[in-house]
Amino acid sequence: METFVEIKPGRKPLQRIYLGTMLWFVGRAIQAAARVDNQVKKEFQSMPPNYTFSLGAFPNGPYMVVGKNDRGKATYLGGDLSKQPVDLEMTLKSMEHLFVLFTFRESTPTANSRDRMIVNGDVPQACAAVRILDIVQVYLLPKFIARLAIKRYPKWSLKRHTLDRTLILIRTLIGI
Amino acid sequence: MYIPEYYEFCCRVNMVAGHDALEKIPELLVSMGASNPMVLTDKGVRAAGLVDILITAMADKLCIKTIEDEVPPDSDLKVVNRLAGVYREKGCDAIIAIGGGSVLDTAKGINILVSENSDDLLQFTGAGALKRKLKPLIAIPTTAGTGSEVTIAAVIADHEKNRKMIFGSYFLLPDVAIIDSRMTLTLPVHITAATAMDAMAHAVESFVMLSKNPLSDAHATEAIGLICRHLPRVIQDPQDKEGRLALATAATLAGIAFSNATVGMVHALGHSVGSVCHVPHGTCMAILLPYGLEYNCHKVEERIADLLLPLAGADLYTRTPQKDRAAAAIACIRQLNRDLNQSTGGAHAVCFKDIKDREGNLSVPENSLPQIAQTALGDGTLFYNPEDMDYDDCLRVLQAAWEGIPLNTRTSKESQR
Repeated sequence: METFVEIKPGRKPLQRIYLGTMLWFVGRAIQAAARVDNQVKKEFQSMPPNYTFSLGAFPNGPYMVVGKNDRGKATYLGGDLSKQPVDLEMTLKSMEHLFVLFTFRESTPTANSRDRMIVNGDVPQACAAVRILDIVQVYLLPKFIARLAIKRYPKWSLKRHTLDRTLILIRTLIGI
Repeated sequence: MYIPEYYEFCCRVNMVAGHDALEKIPELLVSMGASNPMVLTDKGVRAAGLVDILITAMADKLCIKTIEDEVPPDSDLKVVNRLAGVYREKGCDAIIAIGGGSVLDTAKGINILVSENSDDLLQFTGAGALKRKLKPLIAIPTTAGTGSEVTIAAVIADHEKNRKMIFGSYFLLPDVAIIDSRMTLTLPVHITAATAMDAMAHAVESFVMLSKNPLSDAHATEAIGLICRHLPRVIQDPQDKEGRLALATAATLAGIAFSNATVGMVHALGHSVGSVCHVPHGTCMAILLPYGLEYNCHKVEERIADLLLPLAGADLYTRTPQKDRAAAAIACIRQLNRDLNQSTGGAHAVCFKDIKDREGNLSVPENSLPQIAQTALGDGTLFYNPEDMDYDDCLRVLQAAWEGIPLNTRTSKESQR
């Protein structure tokens, strides 16, 4: 039988670097927010122990994996899907779709409604993961950009907007 | 008309509709290479004599291998496994599912096991696990509401492990859906009202949600028009065959619309009321639908305004100024609920506090609302709702729907700071 060579999508190195950096930053920010923000803490509490979820692009990434360890702490686990089993995979159908998402030309709900995202895993946990991502985007992005990324910009206390945001940014950069 | 930058639409089901559509089944089965079907139903449908109508319609043109009526109201993994064994043992080569959502979901589960020659349904859960066409499946809905004869999903409960398994694949679409007026002719009026409002909720939500597209819109508006024109007539005269066929057609149209455009918060809250308080799905949809529109109105006012045309007709639509059309559309749905309440002698509830069990106790106690709100936050349909919803929003909507008072829309707008 004749062997067919699988055609792989173009590599787009700059796009890959940009997305890799964004996912690295978001992953570490989730870890930081889980230690600072009560709402994110609560969302992680609702997940089972050792639960992991990923966000990335089909078929070759980049990805980020975040997990909750058996002591209940949320941790950024890097960008390699093969290092651990992933309970919930949120995968954009192509790197291009992920790029549109992370350049805020399309919000997460719009991407989802246009069938750009495949969600593989328990739906209640997927809802929790999306809420965590929304909160983290509000912490990381200026309001005018965050409003493009989420459905509704939340009403938060001044402490959350200032002190908690600063703490999360510092923790994200340091990685704690 | 709203045309998104990108959308997908698919409906591969062969629809056969009419007052004597059942008679077509033998011919359809032959065209699919099958001749020994298993008939799957539940005890209620069988007791209502609907299986007898099917058998009479088949006459001597078809050899039904077995009739199984052990499907519970909530589809069950054990039942799927057992009936897959019966299918193999009796040498069946197709399934005719006659009933509501649970019967059809059970049929889809059995079809997965017998087509994949497997005993483990778990390995086919999630989206996209099925890779090839399954054995022939004919769906005959007996309520004009769920639209499950044209949906790609199946939900099967594993009661031992207390979880629900969701299957999603285009291969789960039935090959044929038979819409026959005889199947809904004996449906009691209050169930007719609730199931028709379920179809109405499918159509209306698919028209205003984020995934809407021109093709789903066409199906949705036609479904809404059919329900508005025919539901009051059928409630007055349950033997109205034309009306029954129109409602069944509307339910299928609405099913096609929401399969391709999804639903939103009305279903998220409705699923949760159903799961916490065991209230029939159609009743929840009828009560929550106006609240869902009110909640989202500041985000999708134009879309809701467009609903006035199929809901009320061209006369009222043209007489109503554009700025008042959304409110008028919501008022139309409320009025339809009130009319149904009156014409069913109060059996069609318009708010949650009106729903009572046989002993006269509240089916949805006010103190259950926080649990319902918490459960709704885990429902995937919220992804597609135009406006975001948190716990407080869910509770606020549920409280208003419990009391039967309109939603304070200013609060929704203010939260959008």
